[in-house]
Formats: sequence, C-alpha cells, structure tokens
Amino acid sequence: MTFLAFFFILSSLLSFVCAQLVLKRAMENTQKSGFRNLRFISRVAGGIALMTISFFLTLGLLQRFDLSYLYPFQGLSVIIISLMAAVMLKEKLTLQLTIGALLISAGIVLVSLS
Amino acid sequence: MFVFASSQRWRTVRDVSTPLDMTNQPKRNRPSGFWNPWLQLTLSVLCVLLSEFLLKRGANDIADPSNAWSWTGINGLASPLVWMGIAFVIASFLSWLYVLKYIPLTIAFPLSRVVDILVPLGCWIFLGEFISTRRWCGIALVVIGLALVAKPVARIEERL
Repeated sequence: MTFLAFFFILSSLLSFVCAQLVLKRAMENTQKSGFRNLRFISRVAGGIALMTISFFLTLGLLQRFDLSYLYPFQGLSVIIISLMAAVMLKEKLTLQLTIGALLISAGIVLVSLS
Repeated sequence: MFVFASSQRWRTVRDVSTPLDMTNQPKRNRPSGFWNPWLQLTLSVLCVLLSEFLLKRGANDIADPSNAWSWTGINGLASPLVWMGIAFVIASFLSWLYVLKYIPLTIAFPLSRVVDILVPLGCWIFLGEFISTRRWCGIALVVIGLALVAKPVARIEERL
C-alpha cells in the first residue's frame, strides 16, 4: 500500500511538472505565431491532458490521506519546476532564484509537517 | 506580488494584443488594468485557494477507500463540491496560461506557491485555527523565499 501511495504521489507530481513545462512552451510561442496553429493547439492539449491526469490522481490521493501529508510533495514541485525550466526552456536561473525556490520548498514542507 | 500589480510598465518583445484584449493601448506596452499579468497571477492564486478547500471538502464527502477505482479519483465527480472546485481550477488555469505568456516559469511558479501559506493563514484568520511555532517558521521561510524570487523582478520593472 505504501509503495502504491508513493507511486501515485510521484506520478501526480511528474505529470504536473511536465504539464507546466509544455504549457509554458505553448504560450511562449503565441507571441510569435499566434493561437491558430497546430503546434500551439497540440501543446495546449497535451498540457491539459497531463494536468487532468495529475488532477484526478490527486483527487484519488486526497480520499486516502490528509492534505497535510500530501502537501510536502507539492512543495517539491517548486524546486523541480525551477530546475526543469532552466534546463529545458533555457530560462535564466540565478543563485538568488535558486535559494528563493529552496526556501519556499523548505517552508512548505515545514508548514505541512507541523 | 501586489506591489508589482500596480506597476504599469513591462516590456514585451512584440505586440501583445490578443483577441481578448479590446483596449486601445500603445504597442510594446505590457497590458495594464485587468490584463496586467501580475494581477492575473494574483487572481489565479485566489482561485487555486478556493478550489483547494472545495476539493478537500468534496473528496471527504464521497471518500470510499475500499473501491479500487477511487485511486483514480474518478468517483469524486459524484460530489457537487468537487464540480465547484473544478470550475475554480479552470478559472485559475486560464489566468495561469495568460501569466505564462509574460512571466518566466522560474519566477511565476515559485510566486504561485504563495497559496501554500495562504491556506494555513486563511484557516488561522477565518476559522480561528491554531498555528504552531514550527508552522510559523515554515511560513516565515516561504515569505523569505518569495521575497528572494520577487526581488529581481522588482529590479527589472524599475529599470524599464
């Protein structure tokens, strides 16, 4: 049961992170090429699909665990998304932003542990 | 975050008018008023906040851990509270998409997590719930982290 819970928590986290990256990519391109093209539509559709998967997985987890137990894992998404955005979207990740993201994550974990 | 919302200038590389944007504003300016990306970020956070409460209440109402299908959460659709939560999720999603158009993910996403301290603070202010010392420390850490993430933004906005 614990392995299953871990698996579902990880899946919902990863699908959420991927969704954010795909959506950011999609919206960035609208500044150049607008909304009416296949690339934008397929990216937004992919992002929404990933968000939906993550949403229902979270809903399933919420039926079994307290919000306070699940929240620390959501806190991790700040670090993961900052890193992935820097690597995959070539966004500038300064030391200050990294420390800020780490503090936010640590704070979220502390809030939900207490 | 609220401080940024008041600042009117934001450089975008190209014309920022969208089909949604009916106002006649000068080009190369960041949309102001309701379409200000920082205001939209705030709205998105508020919608997430409301949806969290609604979804947890809804999920509690129809919790059925003995059913294997409930791992997928699909049985949650039986609760009207979950549907209201979904409406707010969609609203927050739309403004979030708009935010993504203008603000880098490395800045927008950490800022959007302000919701994680608004939930316990909301419980403290409106429901009179107790906040332990450890939780206050966590809230303080998040606030410092948010300030660090937001500071470079404030500098960019000043320079332009």
